[in-house]
Amino acid sequence: MDKTIKINLGGTLFQIDEEAYKMLRKYLQDIDNRLRNTLGGAETVEDIELRIAEIFQSQGGSAGVISKENIEAMISIIGKPEDFETGSDEKETKAPYYHSTTRKKMYRNPDDTIISGVCGGIGAYLNIEAVWVRLLFILFTCFFGIGFFVYVALWIALPSAHSDPQKREMYGRDDYHTAAQKIKSGYSLKSGDSGYTPSGQAGSHVGNAFNEVFRALGKVLFIIVRIFLILVGITFVLCGFMALVSFIMVFFFKYPGYFSTHSFGVNLFYLPDFLNYIVNPVIAPWILVLSFIVILIPLLALIYWGVKMIFWFKAKDGIVSLIGLIIWVVSVAVLSLLLFNEGISYSETAKIVSEEIIDKAPSDLYIMSGNKIADLHFDKEISFNEEDYNVYFIDDNKGLFLSSGLNINNSDDKSVKVTVRKRSAGRSKSDATRKAEGLVYNYHIAGDTLYLDEYFTIPVGTRWSFDDVRVNLYIPDGTEVHFDKTTENMFRRQHYYNEDWNWSWDGEDKEMVRSDSGDNHWIMTEDGLRRRSESSEK
Amino acid sequence: MDLENTKAQMRKGILEYCILSVLSKNSCYASDIIKELKEARVIVVEGTLYPLLTRQKNAGLLSYRWEESQQGPPRKYYELTSEGKEYLADLDKSWDELVESVNLIRTR
Repeated sequence: MDKTIKINLGGTLFQIDEEAYKMLRKYLQDIDNRLRNTLGGAETVEDIELRIAEIFQSQGGSAGVISKENIEAMISIIGKPEDFETGSDEKETKAPYYHSTTRKKMYRNPDDTIISGVCGGIGAYLNIEAVWVRLLFILFTCFFGIGFFVYVALWIALPSAHSDPQKREMYGRDDYHTAAQKIKSGYSLKSGDSGYTPSGQAGSHVGNAFNEVFRALGKVLFIIVRIFLILVGITFVLCGFMALVSFIMVFFFKYPGYFSTHSFGVNLFYLPDFLNYIVNPVIAPWILVLSFIVILIPLLALIYWGVKMIFWFKAKDGIVSLIGLIIWVVSVAVLSLLLFNEGISYSETAKIVSEEIIDKAPSDLYIMSGNKIADLHFDKEISFNEEDYNVYFIDDNKGLFLSSGLNINNSDDKSVKVTVRKRSAGRSKSDATRKAEGLVYNYHIAGDTLYLDEYFTIPVGTRWSFDDVRVNLYIPDGTEVHFDKTTENMFRRQHYYNEDWNWSWDGEDKEMVRSDSGDNHWIMTEDGLRRRSESSEK
Repeated sequence: MDLENTKAQMRKGILEYCILSVLSKNSCYASDIIKELKEARVIVVEGTLYPLLTRQKNAGLLSYRWEESQQGPPRKYYELTSEGKEYLADLDKSWDELVESVNLIRTR
């Protein structure tokens, strides 16, 4: 097989056999001779070279070896230089000469790069050696790091000049590659007006020395940055993955795992089910799906970025990222809108208070439980610990049961007074009042015994709106109060967070009544209700 | 007299006009122009076109932009400048006059 030669034609590499190479060289030489002395001849020769490269590629692709037949076919298309009909005689043309119509644009220069090619690009744009630009950047980094920030900003802002047209724009001339590429191609075409050398190829001695130093520094910097990025990437992937797993566990399997769902003082465990009671049931699934998207997309993005940082690969993910971002933003917007709209349904609150007075106050008052939460057989429970507010669901009838509170205060007169305060929220004052009236709470008085329900009910079909029912009991000084376990619990729950309440509490679990002591015997004093044993000590 | 030579001379005269006319429709890459000119049998070899394009560009009649090509090297897409459009309008007029004159002579 004949010897083959590698040539670079119009920026493309071709394999060509020796005989064909000689033909091509002669042909190009002829064209050059014919056009050299015409106006813009060098440019025309380059155009023809580009066209030849195109013809070669269409003939057999750049992979195959170009043969004599290829050359002949090409010449029959382009024509022999002596057949070029160029119209009137070139030399008579006195048209003004435009050097180049290519607009100059700033790019990052991938051919002259230490970190990202920003300095190389600026150098090419300003037509100076990149090394001086680099020195300037380092100099300005010493002043409060200005150089560094400008560099990063330019890195982000400037695209890299990958393609040939971009490089032409970067250098602001079409023949930028003549010097570099024609040396490679093995033959030199005498293109008259090409005296330009790309920076970095051959510069001054000082510039070269600096360049070496920069190159070494750049490598070290690059390695440090890579290690840092890998660490950050690993953190991203781990965090993202863990969050994703726990999110899916809680969201789909209602499995809290190691991540406590009580973390915000709210048991989030059944929040998805609970949603039906808070918002319009029609839009509840939408809110769920949107919340899912709003949480999922950033987690996936976090994991993806992490992987990208670790393995440092380039992917055409711009469109996917953009779509993801758009979906996320839209989801957030729609979700906010929905929640805002739902929130309006709770903008007004209203309280209604009913009152009952027992004229003949007993000296011993028994407070007993009516209906107890323990008897409810509820399916789900949500606790708002801070508020000491518990909501219980029974799936069958979709009703809601909520714990009610009990306050006991010193009454001003000798009577015993029971008030029940119902609070609800709604779109308007009247709506809230109507809902408050709808809350079902039962109690009754029989002789010296007050029977209280431990919970109140929100009727089926009414939305939960942080409703609250509180029983206030006013009793005169010296009245002795006997609780049962449940009612004592109701009372104590109300005062659990009251720091002024000076009574001994040694249990961790506030639900637990100290049944061992059997001391459910309290007395009303000037300071409020006290355990009988404590008040006698005083 | 050499017939071929005369024909070539005639073609030469109208070639620049033809290029501008092709470009007046839309911006073209050199091969597109060549295709049209070949179909119209105005040129024989492609090499003829390139020096003309360069010349018209340098005269300010044309401008070009680079565009990436799916296969092969990037391409120059040429289009008429406003100067080029005026120039072409002038040529259009003189061409019509020329055809009229020739027809007048031939039918007389």
